[in-house]
Amino acid sequence: MKILKFERVESTQKTAKELIKKGEKEWTVILAKEQTKGIGRKGNFWYSPKGGLYFSLVLPKTEIEKIKIIRDLVPFLVSKVIFEEVKEKPFIKFPNDIYLRGRKIGGVMIQNFISKRRQISILGIGINTNVKEFPEDLREKATSLLIEFKKRVSNQKILKKILKEIQKVFETISK
Amino acid sequence: MKFKIKIGQKEFDIEILQVGEETKIKVNEKEFLFGEKEERKISHPRIKIPKKHFSREEILAPISGEISEIFVKEGERVKEGQKLFLLSAMKMENEILADKEGRVKKIFVKKGQTVKKDEVLLILE
Repeated sequence: MKILKFERVESTQKTAKELIKKGEKEWTVILAKEQTKGIGRKGNFWYSPKGGLYFSLVLPKTEIEKIKIIRDLVPFLVSKVIFEEVKEKPFIKFPNDIYLRGRKIGGVMIQNFISKRRQISILGIGINTNVKEFPEDLREKATSLLIEFKKRVSNQKILKKILKEIQKVFETISK
Repeated sequence: MKFKIKIGQKEFDIEILQVGEETKIKVNEKEFLFGEKEERKISHPRIKIPKKHFSREEILAPISGEISEIFVKEGERVKEGQKLFLLSAMKMENEILADKEGRVKKIFVKKGQTVKKDEVLLILE
């Protein structure tokens, strides 16, 4: 697995797509400290200031039905890792959103790019880990682990745990 | 009437016979019939060759879902890899891309329409 780190990108999904065109392969991770145009499902804006964990993973080519299984499982894997960090169970608004104490703390999305010759799937994950504060219009809807638990978590550690869990799922469904 | 002819080193036995209105000519025991009768039509089995536009390409729905966006119009030229549709399926966003450069000949779907797997969405030529 290759992790490409960026200080600031428009969105890790977009960067992943561009890098695939330049030859990046499956299991490449695009990690950014900040996204200026972070996206959620249906192109919704994802507020992504410094402190949060934002990354995209280029998935290995797999049948679309299996990609769906990954998409279904990833919110649970992310929630499990969050639970291990803060010992509080997040709530999953299936299939994309993760909530904690009634406010959004993370999101998962998959974009497939399909032509007859190729199929590329990019998994995007955003978690409000160490985000200090949210703009007023988002305060009611979003929160972060730092805001809720008043302590910083290691983005690096959380990232590694999530990637490991995803790899395990792939190994299982590939059998 | 029988006779022999020699062409180079090869000899031919020729016999000409009148059979009714037809003339039969035998050459080394091979018979050839000549007359005023119409030549019998020989029927050949007809092989239907499907018309195929080799440059034409159908873009199919890879999975069942809903067309959320159509990014091109009929008559528009597209490049290879250009996005044509956004197909929302199983809560995933699927961008359907052009396999080759070409012109959009026909679009069969509308925004918001539900499509089945392998349904033709567009013809590219």
